[in-house]
Amino acid sequence: MATSSVSKGCFVFKPSSKKRKRVPRVEDYFTEGNDDAKSAKLRFNICQELWEKIKSDTETLQEELNKKTLDSLLELIRKCASGFQLKANDWAGLMRASEIPTAALVLGVNVPDHDVTFQGLSELLQQSVTPFVVSVQAKECTALKHLMQKVLERIMGVDVPLNEEDEGQSGSCSVPGNRKRARCSLSSLCEWYQMAVKKFAARSPGKKCSSLGKDVLPYPPVVIIFKDLEAFSPRVLQDFILICSRYIQQLPLMFIFGIATSPSTIQHMLPHSVSSLLCIELFQSLSCTQHLATVIDQLVLTPKFPFKLTGKVLQVLVSIFLYHDFSVRNFIKGLQLALVEHFHSQPLSVLCCCKKEAVDHAQQFIHQDVERVRQLPSFMRYVENQDAEEQVKLLTNDDHVKEVCQKLIKNLRKYHKNYHPVLRCLHSLTSSLPKYPLGKQVRELHISCLEKNIWETEEYNTAMQLLRMLAKDELVAALQNCADLLRPAKSEKMKEALQQLEDYITKFDKLDQLSSEDLMEEEVTSPGKDLQKKTDLFQLQKTLLEMRESRRSKKMTPFEVLRNQVLDIVDQLVRTYLIPPETQPMNEVCYYSSSGVLRRHLNATPRTSIQTALSHPYYYLQHEGLQTDTGSISNTAPDICVVYKLHLECGRLINLFDWLEAYCTVVSAAEGKDPDSPDYGKVDELKHARFIQAVSELEFVGFVKSTKQKTDHVARLTWGGC
Amino acid sequence: MSKRKSRETHMLLGECLSQAQKILRRRFCHQDVPAMPAGLDSQHKHLLELLRRTAVHGESNSVLIVGPRGSGKTMLLSYVLRELLEEKDVNKNVLQVHLNGLLQTDDRIALKEITRQLNLENVVGDKVFGSFAENLAFLLEALKKGNRSSSRPVFFILDEFDLFAHHKNQTLLYNLLDVSQSAQAPVAVVGLTCRLDVLELLEKRVKSRFSHRQIHLLSALTFRQYLEVVCTQLSLPSDFPDSRFSEEWNNSVRKLTEDKSVEDVLQKHFNISKDFRSLHVLLLLALSRVTTSSPAIQPTDLVEARRLCAADYKANILHGLSILELCLIIAMKHLNEIYEGEPFNFQMVYNEFKKFISRKSRSIHNFEKPVVMKAFEHLQQLELVKPMEASTTKIQREYQLMKLLLDHSQIMESLQRYPQCPTDVKQWAASAFA
Amino acid sequence: MPLQLQHEGYSEEKLGLLAEKITCRETQASTLLALLGEPDHYTYPSIFIYGHHASGKSHVTECIMKELELPHVTVSCVECVSAGLLFEQVVMGLYGSEATALLPRSSSILDFVRVYKQLSSQEPSYQTRYIILDRAQLLRDMEANLLPGFLRLQELVDDNVTVIFLSEIVWDKFRPSTGCFEPVVLHFPDYNKGELHQILTLDSHPSYSPELYSSFINIMLGVFYSVCRDLRELRHLAALNFSKFCEPLERGEVKETDTHKLWKNIEPHLKKAMQTVYLREVSSVQWEEQQQKEEKEAGALKGLSAYAHVELPYYSKFLLIAAYLASYNPARTDRRFFLKHHGKLKKTNFMKKHEKTSNHLLGPKPFPLDRLLAIFYSVVDNRVAPTASVFSQISSLVTLQLLTQVGHDDQLDAPKYKCAVSLDFIQAIARTLSFDIVRYLYDFL
Repeated sequence: MATSSVSKGCFVFKPSSKKRKRVPRVEDYFTEGNDDAKSAKLRFNICQELWEKIKSDTETLQEELNKKTLDSLLELIRKCASGFQLKANDWAGLMRASEIPTAALVLGVNVPDHDVTFQGLSELLQQSVTPFVVSVQAKECTALKHLMQKVLERIMGVDVPLNEEDEGQSGSCSVPGNRKRARCSLSSLCEWYQMAVKKFAARSPGKKCSSLGKDVLPYPPVVIIFKDLEAFSPRVLQDFILICSRYIQQLPLMFIFGIATSPSTIQHMLPHSVSSLLCIELFQSLSCTQHLATVIDQLVLTPKFPFKLTGKVLQVLVSIFLYHDFSVRNFIKGLQLALVEHFHSQPLSVLCCCKKEAVDHAQQFIHQDVERVRQLPSFMRYVENQDAEEQVKLLTNDDHVKEVCQKLIKNLRKYHKNYHPVLRCLHSLTSSLPKYPLGKQVRELHISCLEKNIWETEEYNTAMQLLRMLAKDELVAALQNCADLLRPAKSEKMKEALQQLEDYITKFDKLDQLSSEDLMEEEVTSPGKDLQKKTDLFQLQKTLLEMRESRRSKKMTPFEVLRNQVLDIVDQLVRTYLIPPETQPMNEVCYYSSSGVLRRHLNATPRTSIQTALSHPYYYLQHEGLQTDTGSISNTAPDICVVYKLHLECGRLINLFDWLEAYCTVVSAAEGKDPDSPDYGKVDELKHARFIQAVSELEFVGFVKSTKQKTDHVARLTWGGC
Repeated sequence: MSKRKSRETHMLLGECLSQAQKILRRRFCHQDVPAMPAGLDSQHKHLLELLRRTAVHGESNSVLIVGPRGSGKTMLLSYVLRELLEEKDVNKNVLQVHLNGLLQTDDRIALKEITRQLNLENVVGDKVFGSFAENLAFLLEALKKGNRSSSRPVFFILDEFDLFAHHKNQTLLYNLLDVSQSAQAPVAVVGLTCRLDVLELLEKRVKSRFSHRQIHLLSALTFRQYLEVVCTQLSLPSDFPDSRFSEEWNNSVRKLTEDKSVEDVLQKHFNISKDFRSLHVLLLLALSRVTTSSPAIQPTDLVEARRLCAADYKANILHGLSILELCLIIAMKHLNEIYEGEPFNFQMVYNEFKKFISRKSRSIHNFEKPVVMKAFEHLQQLELVKPMEASTTKIQREYQLMKLLLDHSQIMESLQRYPQCPTDVKQWAASAFA
Repeated sequence: MPLQLQHEGYSEEKLGLLAEKITCRETQASTLLALLGEPDHYTYPSIFIYGHHASGKSHVTECIMKELELPHVTVSCVECVSAGLLFEQVVMGLYGSEATALLPRSSSILDFVRVYKQLSSQEPSYQTRYIILDRAQLLRDMEANLLPGFLRLQELVDDNVTVIFLSEIVWDKFRPSTGCFEPVVLHFPDYNKGELHQILTLDSHPSYSPELYSSFINIMLGVFYSVCRDLRELRHLAALNFSKFCEPLERGEVKETDTHKLWKNIEPHLKKAMQTVYLREVSSVQWEEQQQKEEKEAGALKGLSAYAHVELPYYSKFLLIAAYLASYNPARTDRRFFLKHHGKLKKTNFMKKHEKTSNHLLGPKPFPLDRLLAIFYSVVDNRVAPTASVFSQISSLVTLQLLTQVGHDDQLDAPKYKCAVSLDFIQAIARTLSFDIVRYLYDFL
């Protein structure tokens, strides 16, 4: 019912088909405006293939994520299906014969993401379990017969006419031509099913291995998927279930309820007499926040893609997700938008691609491009840091600049190669600390790293302090998975780091062997131990202090020495590699920074923009005559603006005539009549007409509406004055 | 040897019985009456006269037979028709068209039906008619093209007459009655209805064309006559194959009617309704208890039958409820008493129930809300409670306004009859203003 | 002591077979049988049988029809999405599927009657034909002339046919305003405890002695009888809990005869089953599994309602809270709740004494969009731009049935809403935001 386009709006996306049918237009969109079509085209292509890569990645990711739930679901279905013919001999099964196996699949509130899931599910089913899968939506089954019709049609693949629809050709029903028509009742489905199964059985031994999955069931179940349970009318659902339960003996039916809110809706929708016909099992898909976390992990926190987001942009995307819609799909759309925007707006983004391409793109730079490079703030900064004649060269010699560019690009890539592993290390170390000083999620840490020098922050220091108090076993464990995180990284810097860490780990292990030391170190480390139960921060600080005391007094144990050393190394890593990207020369090439644009596109504020348009026409029209000091409005403004302005001064009900008069005075002031002339502010047809038009426009925008309450008044739908 | 003989006689008895059953059942179930329905002599004469006029002298006519359901309208009519058709010249002359308001839901259909019953489809073929009237006229015209010059009389019999009055501007009625007024073809329009105010339903132009003849079947039977009717209804006709049996049977019937218990059973039944159909049901139930072991209707049979007829349905349903559901009903009863029959919602009922539990819940242990909700839904399903407005989808279940469709006495009575009903529940029910 | 079915029309052994099939329903069966009379006799045009769910209505009728090989058709009205379908099924049941070709699509009762007449004249049967309409209460929702038509079908088609209506609802609720042909009404009373016991013992587990099973049934009835008397339900419960009941035997701790021990063992489980199983909160399969693993770890099985928590976007949560407040607080109290310094509202005139029934008893009231937004902006901590997505979240809440829109969906200006969530639900939501909603609710002042 309420699934009107408006409600979809919450999860609505930009038309996703940027690439497919619109390709030429998009290219034009790229090339237009800027002079060299060639580079634009190039950028467009780069952008495209990058997006393709991202897209495919996300798709595989999605499958991965849903895999677990779906597999268990499939398992259930298989079980039930095989149970169908066993039933006869097993007692408990016999007692339960009348129940329809049902899976309640809880998917969370981000409705648009569900389609993908269901798509995958039904495909999976069709490959591995049964050819007979239907999915129905609430809005296409307003009445029982429609639901029935949809189900039958989609399973049997014949048209099932409802009576009233074909009143017209009611004569033609006797014609043998439309034998394919089936009656709109489950019994016809049953007959059909028996036939189908026979055919199926005849065929299947041949194609057992080929098309269908490993185990072909003699009686493949008929699975009906209700995509959005909440939206179904309870009445329809109840009747349908009642009907189905009459046939469950002959027909292995199965339901899958797609639930957005919570499983208890089933209880609310179905009375006991109906719900007692179902054998419901619950399946919880993983929460969309986790989903998002993984997506970010795979798409953003990886050197794989040259394209990067600055902290602000990422912040925007994430906050849209958390605050407005839990829709991962939207998040990815946002990413796509950022990508396109970047490649469109940033000419130098030609360099934003894999290394060697980037290099030879840099090679083919024309003078203009070089100029652009020189304009880059980061590049300027870089230049300033060079010595004099180098600076001269950079500012004069294009070829040299190209050279440097290539170098810088390479550096940038290196930077990324190192940045991410270290980031992960730091996170893995700190994420286990009490109160998560650096945040629970990697993305939080990432964002703060992008923003500023992390090591200068308060949180970082506390984190470090806490780390310095870790007990041995914990520390070793932490270091261990740091090492694991570093292992895949290829750059030799990381290799070194890894090497160091491993050394320390071994050293720690050594410690055990030569722990034939005096007991005192034991009892020194022991306070460290008792810190491990996560006491609150205050406690920690306190103990921390007295430990400082003790440390000053006593000589440090070898363990503590080691610990400090290793943590210093970590700290060093952080300081060297987690420097924010702004410091990197040429970072503009890869980093998309204009968060404002993104916000405007993804999280539009139509109402405010209308209001600005009406109260400050200059903002959009850019006409000098309209420039006014805030609040007041020039009388040369478009009529609707004037009318709007005036209506702001009125109460809930507006007397049209007063309004008209006010309007006329304003307008005639615009005409530059002298205020003393008799027809100043007179109402003539023209003004009247204009006024009426303006008012109706205002009504159309939805700020006023006609009312019955009082004659020749209109009601005001906005609130607040000017 | 002797054994077989005995079985034969037995068989014989069985056959007789089944014969008897057959005949009587035809009466009770299929409305074919043995003798002219009692107490309707005048009406009968009137109707017969009327129809004969049309049949023999070709006078058009229109009449309404009005009477409550089961008062024997159809019976009377069919009886009269049968009588008429026994007369030879009438028999091969008269045509009958039976229409029923339940079937012919609009006039187009009705007209088709008429065409069919006059079997004139082939004549009409696929002609197109300007108006309904033309069409009807044509039909009646077509009847003329018989062997005889003057057209044959037609009886139009409209069962559930009032339903025809609801058709779009009453075209059919208008035309039929119009025909019956202007003597273009001899027709008799006989309407049967149970609505006394049927004339109010007719439009002015239609009403004006109706000869305001009405035959009212408000049977003025005395109890004596009633007994007579019972007797005749039950007794076998003279042409019954086995005369000995039929004699016995009829005697037994006579005896039956004299029996005291039977008499006051019938008295009760008589006081409730005199109409034939309910009587038929009663007798049928009694008859159905006749077996070879008891080859005649016993007084007990009638008593039993009466019990079946007079059962209180809702009480029966209440009897089958679970304790929990019963408690809810009681809660609603109390709500009704407190708020003078204002509608209530589940939330309130649940509160009442909770109060009761908290006060003294020895027998009922405390059910969770969802369980109670399910019980409530069951009551709704049984239509013991009814939502005020239909749309359930919009409102939350708990807050939908309901009203109870049972009255105090019903509840209390069924509480008494309830198997092992815990005493505290009983007390709760009894206590005014819980 | 079950009375013997007897009837002239049918041979002894047939009746014998029939009698076996219908335990505890002999009385009803014999009444019905007597009423139907011999095959070739006329039967009353319409018979209306009512009785509770699973009180053997359709079972008995079916058995009689099948065992005695009477020409009949059984149609469940719930299946017939249109009257046409109903007729089609009736005709097919009585005269075979090719006969249905005669029926036009979307046939009216007139067509049906015509076709029926035609068919019955073609192949007249000397036996009474029976049309059994299950869930007859649904006939009332179809065309108005359908029920009266079927009631006097015998008269209309002029054939020896009888219509048997089966329903859970009493006849009074069927009678149309202008009355109709009154059927013979029969009542199937609910099974009493003894009968239930007798029936349930019939399906005893093959690998155990019937005595054991019957004792088990005894215990179970003791627990559940007060809540539900639905045979179907009880059977289900029995099936689920029997294995548990037998466990001690399996382990050889107890002998079959030692009923008391067994009772001690099973009783708590049955009590637990009351909530979870009776409401079908957990599927029977899950229940059984849990019964198995109970020994290892006593993990309480969570029912559907245990998963009441719903994840919502941040603003959606606030919108929902705002909606809840708007629909459970009287509008005039908003100033007091949401204005930082609402002048001097007198406690007395603020708390109107006369409205003593709390809104949580009467349910939510509709509220306009403006009010919702106003409250939203005052409860949400940081200030929010009125973006499109804030508005569309409202309508997506409607889609999720957490809000309901009052009036038409297409009403664009000044739509009204109601909040459709329970108190505990909203409290759970509020807790995640650490927003103390109770402080803002008029009912809890």
